[in-house]
Amino acid sequence: MITVVGQCVAAFVFGTSVGVLVQRSRWCNTAALRDAMLFKSYRNTKALLVAMMILTLGFTALISVGNGNPMRFDVGINQFIGLFLFGIGMVFAGACTVSSWVKTGEGNIGALWALLFLIVGLFLSSLVWSFSYWPPAGQTMTGHPNLAGLQFGWADALTLQRATGVPALFFGIIQFLGLLFIYRRILHRERATAEGMNPTPAAASVPAADRLTAPPAPSVARLEPQTNTRSPL
Amino acid sequence: MDFFKKSLDPIVALAIIAVLDIFLFQIVGAWTVGGGETMIAGLFVRALIGAKALNRIPFWHLVFKPTWAYWKIYISLGMGFGALVSAILSKEFYWRVPKHLSEWIMITIGGLLMGVGIRLSFVCNVSTFLGLTPEMNLGGYLAVSGLVIGAWVGSWVYKRVLEA
Repeated sequence: MITVVGQCVAAFVFGTSVGVLVQRSRWCNTAALRDAMLFKSYRNTKALLVAMMILTLGFTALISVGNGNPMRFDVGINQFIGLFLFGIGMVFAGACTVSSWVKTGEGNIGALWALLFLIVGLFLSSLVWSFSYWPPAGQTMTGHPNLAGLQFGWADALTLQRATGVPALFFGIIQFLGLLFIYRRILHRERATAEGMNPTPAAASVPAADRLTAPPAPSVARLEPQTNTRSPL
Repeated sequence: MDFFKKSLDPIVALAIIAVLDIFLFQIVGAWTVGGGETMIAGLFVRALIGAKALNRIPFWHLVFKPTWAYWKIYISLGMGFGALVSAILSKEFYWRVPKHLSEWIMITIGGLLMGVGIRLSFVCNVSTFLGLTPEMNLGGYLAVSGLVIGAWVGSWVYKRVLEA
């Protein structure tokens, strides 16, 4: 059993590693969604999908053998509405929770400003939390479905494994294949875009692997997708 | 060091992070940022208004009692620290300040919406994509749906604002 200090040290070491890797790679979750939607540019989206594939196999494998620490998490409509607001906010701010910390570390005052107002928004909305009414009421979050409170209880790979007797890894492999399908569709779309941009025989002779690394042209002239250069925030 | 002279492929970076996250999942729990930020908000406000006043607010009394012994805080602080060290070593640290009032307004509204969203859902974008969904939690699928639709709406508005 790890001590509280051990937990905090492990978290700090992990966070520091993430900070270095994200700073060097310029990965951004906001860009993973925004650039795919606005520019059909998938540099960050592909990285997100690869991480999700690895994590799905890793987490469900650990759950299958009774290890890991899955979140005991009450599912509810509040997750949909909350992340809907969050999605709008992260595009407006030009940074998600990860990139706002990483960009703050690089000296970006706009990112620090976004973090400060994230804290303000968090605190102001905490004032309307109640134990007895939505959103989301403490007394309805019991781990069991409570439709009147728009809560569906606790449902994940672990509960699925307990209910069916089938190892969580089996379900993880199905999810992995679904994510792999999306990843391959993106590669296919990138290949089609690259071929559309280079219809000449000379361009067509470029190896497919090289063509995949070429960024597609932005569809909106005044906006550019995030590549290796920093966005304003 | 060569590592700090060139940029890293994000697929490689996220693959390494995912492997590290599996170890973190085994030790204490999956990578999340919203929980740490909620606790930081509580500690920040407690420093401003005092513990007695904060205790009168049910959320901070019943759900998130502010404490420095909460491991998720240190993921956030570590990310900022790691990025600072990396930016200095790669000579990429410099002060960047948004130039236009419209940028400040967008960032302010964006920050507020992110804060409200985290509080309402008890989850952030990281725990949505890289925590709940890989754990196959139904909340992860709901959150991903909300986040993708929200990002689409946000992108549509953002595009209109920048083109205006």
